Amino acid sequence: MRQFFRQLGWELFRLFARRRSYIGFGVFLAVELLFYYLWTREKSQQDMEQFISRVAGGFDEYFSALTLGFLIVAFTMLLLGVVFVSLIAGDILAKETEDGNLRLILARPVSRFRLLLVKFISCQIYTSCLFLFVGVTSLGVGILERGWGGGMLVWTPELPRVSLFDWNEGLARYFLAITGFSLIYLPVIGMAFMLGCFKIKPAAATILTVAFCVADRVLSSIPLPVFDPYRDYFITSRMTAWLYLLYQDIPWARFFEASAWLCGFGLTGFLVGWIVFERRDVKS
Amino acid sequence: MLQFNQVTKRFPSASSPALDGVSFSVGRGRICGLLGHNGAGKSTALGVILGMIHPDEGEALIDGCSVQRRRELAVAKVGAIFEAPAFYDYLSGWKNLKVLTAYSGGVSEEEMRKMVVWVGLEKRIRDRVSTYSHGMRQRLALAQALLPRPELLILDEPTDGLDPEGIVEFRQQVLELRDNLGLTVLLSSHLLTEVEQICDEVVILQSGRMVYEGLVSGFSDDRGFYRIDSENPELTHRLCLEMGGELYGENVAFPSRENAADLLASLISKGARITRFAPETGSLESLYLRHSRAVLNPLPTEEGKVA
Repeated sequence: MRQFFRQLGWELFRLFARRRSYIGFGVFLAVELLFYYLWTREKSQQDMEQFISRVAGGFDEYFSALTLGFLIVAFTMLLLGVVFVSLIAGDILAKETEDGNLRLILARPVSRFRLLLVKFISCQIYTSCLFLFVGVTSLGVGILERGWGGGMLVWTPELPRVSLFDWNEGLARYFLAITGFSLIYLPVIGMAFMLGCFKIKPAAATILTVAFCVADRVLSSIPLPVFDPYRDYFITSRMTAWLYLLYQDIPWARFFEASAWLCGFGLTGFLVGWIVFERRDVKS
Repeated sequence: MLQFNQVTKRFPSASSPALDGVSFSVGRGRICGLLGHNGAGKSTALGVILGMIHPDEGEALIDGCSVQRRRELAVAKVGAIFEAPAFYDYLSGWKNLKVLTAYSGGVSEEEMRKMVVWVGLEKRIRDRVSTYSHGMRQRLALAQALLPRPELLILDEPTDGLDPEGIVEFRQQVLELRDNLGLTVLLSSHLLTEVEQICDEVVILQSGRMVYEGLVSGFSDDRGFYRIDSENPELTHRLCLEMGGELYGENVAFPSRENAADLLASLISKGARITRFAPETGSLESLYLRHSRAVLNPLPTEEGKVA
């Protein structure tokens, strides 16, 4: 077990030592600032003021750092989440196989299962760090704009009604939702990782995963009765589970059901990837 | 130390097997050269030994332990260097060693430091690998292969791209490892002189089949090998065959080393327009040519059929 953690530690070190790992952080930050700009423009502020006055009352109270942070996070993740997570997970194994780094490791007394597990977990940890970074920086931007304190207002089409929290509960819910992100992206990680285990280019693993998620999202959004029996099988509709954590009263049963489904999907991706990789010949 | 038992491997995209029932063995403390043309199956054989390639039939045993059945246990005794080793360029040499040895259960810093000094990288070990020359990468590759100390060292074209000094130094290091630590070495190389100088035994692969296994020093061939170039090669080759010679690519082997002058005179008198007639230094080169190149360069007969 100690050996496993040592290997995981060095894998994480290696992952965070790459310069291009930080490009992702930079891109997310740039997009956050773009959304910050869009949400603080006069027209957006007027629309928000009208909306908040209608549903909650005080605009100054509820257009707080937390509300602004939530808006920035939600839109940034919607735009970049799947793409970036697919990029990391699709790249982590396929790129090393392509570059030849993997041969040096596979010449060592380590099982392929353990090697994949180390890489899968480090991928998950890296993604969680990235999401935490997005959460903290978005909130930071919100605090710089709106200051500390105030309430939190959350509304998206998926929510049954507007959720309103005071500052302390809002802060707790905000970070709970950020943690939920790491969980709901597990199927994306699992799928990109699985594809990376096949003999394909790293970019192909990323593109296929993104294409799958986009197709899944489009199909799940079509309001035709013919799709109703299959609606539970669309992963992107399950991936909205993080919003349960922002309901006024958290529906834990629904959250855990969706989480179990998403984890199952992600881990199945890992297992299929392992079976494929175990049978693969690694050549120069 | 190493046994390669009846290994067959077919890749789905290839028309012929990469390895076809290949068997050989290397005794403890011996240096064995693995020779063969490109595509002969050398890298596939090394891949099977390291458990990176799954054979269709047969198995590789390291110290009696099957790589195919108990890979981790078997490979724990192996260190490997590949042609153009791919390190993490953005990490220092030291961090690369740390990352790689973590997969072997870790190695003490003291042991790592000693190895770095032994391969002569102590001044640059903290620099990024992206700044290393090819020779320095090979030294780092040797260091990682020897950490933790293996019993079998696999070298896949280790001197490719090295300068002459680097080749000589590498050769000395391999011999030192064998002599001082009793390491068994399997060396895949294109360089016959290199194999001849450091190997005790040699295995020659040709189109996936093993065509020769034996001692390098014990090899003797009483036949006379000559490199013959001429302006009319078809006639020259036919005359050589009539005179009892055997064709091995551009070389011809005659039953005896003697009478080179008579041979030459005879060929010229029969119409061969010889431009070069040079005795070849038998040994490994002739052995290799005999077993490897003969089939690759079939010559047309008078009827135009392939001999």
